[in-house]
Amino acid sequence: MKWPRVILLAVVVALGAWAWVALHPDPERLIRRRLDKIAHAASYGPNQGYLAKLAGAQSLADFCATNIEVNIDVPGRQEHRLAGREDIQQAALALRASVQAVTVTFPDVTVVVNADRESAVADLTLQARLAGERDMFVQEVKVTLQKIDGQWLIVKAETVRTLK
Amino acid sequence: MKETKSGPGQERRSGSWLQTLALGRNPKTTLIRAAVLAAVCVVLFKWVLLPVRVQGISMTPTYADHSVHFVNRLAYLWHEPRRGDVVGIRLTPPNGWSAPHIMYFKRIIGLPGESISFVGGRVLVNGQTLDEPYEKRPCDWNAAAVTLGGHEYFVVGDNRSMAKEEHDFGRAERSRIVGKALL
Repeated sequence: MKWPRVILLAVVVALGAWAWVALHPDPERLIRRRLDKIAHAASYGPNQGYLAKLAGAQSLADFCATNIEVNIDVPGRQEHRLAGREDIQQAALALRASVQAVTVTFPDVTVVVNADRESAVADLTLQARLAGERDMFVQEVKVTLQKIDGQWLIVKAETVRTLK
Repeated sequence: MKETKSGPGQERRSGSWLQTLALGRNPKTTLIRAAVLAAVCVVLFKWVLLPVRVQGISMTPTYADHSVHFVNRLAYLWHEPRRGDVVGIRLTPPNGWSAPHIMYFKRIIGLPGESISFVGGRVLVNGQTLDEPYEKRPCDWNAAAVTLGGHEYFVVGDNRSMAKEEHDFGRAERSRIVGKALL
């Protein structure tokens, strides 16, 4: 076999591998990308108008399933339960009304995709920097995601007590 | 009378002196040494000695707010964590050898199988008062006894003059202990 043919074969194999990865993306990588987008949607800057706040809250709710459940149990604060996309949107809007700016990141994420490849659990560290607060807020959160209509949506999110 | 000489030859000599100072007599060897040093630093500070910046007052006065320290991940290769060790505890479950970006920084006061309680600010281990020389501030905490599992450690901060409700403490699984505070 001559060298040009070998190179051509290598290029074809590489293109085939790339096409396979592009057409069959790894669910874990998709979920991590999704979580990055959620962190971005949950963050907002100061001096937002009402419409921008509403759009931000709506974009955050779009990452959630219609029947989403959220349980927030943080030491020293009252326990909160939210149910449904509407509740999420209202809570996000209320936060935007009370805190001027928030930056959310998920610096440590562990994703376990279930055998059916249609659902997954992500354990993550939520880090939030609130405007006017000296220290950042840090909390372990367990997020259950489900593939609904081709999109990974959050069906359940709950805070976890790292130190029990 | 002294003569001063200046000219292209002297500039060249001065240039080569600077080059020797910056790159050594053999620039190729110096660059290889620099590359090896950089690689060692990356491996050391990314996977072995994790630099941490303390945020919060739960470990004062031992560790001041915003001070920088290191967590040694190799500390518990040969023995298990001991009482009195200050350790880094990850918030998410372990994921291979990847180092967490955020950790709790706490002191171990209880070992697996022990019963830990707080009575009038004093720590009781299996009913016996624990001597804590690092505990320098007044404390009035009371908490019912907790019995630790086979792979659990009881961790708490050194600043127990703050309200118990505002202080994160409790049982930590062994798998979540990242390493021991080095400095």
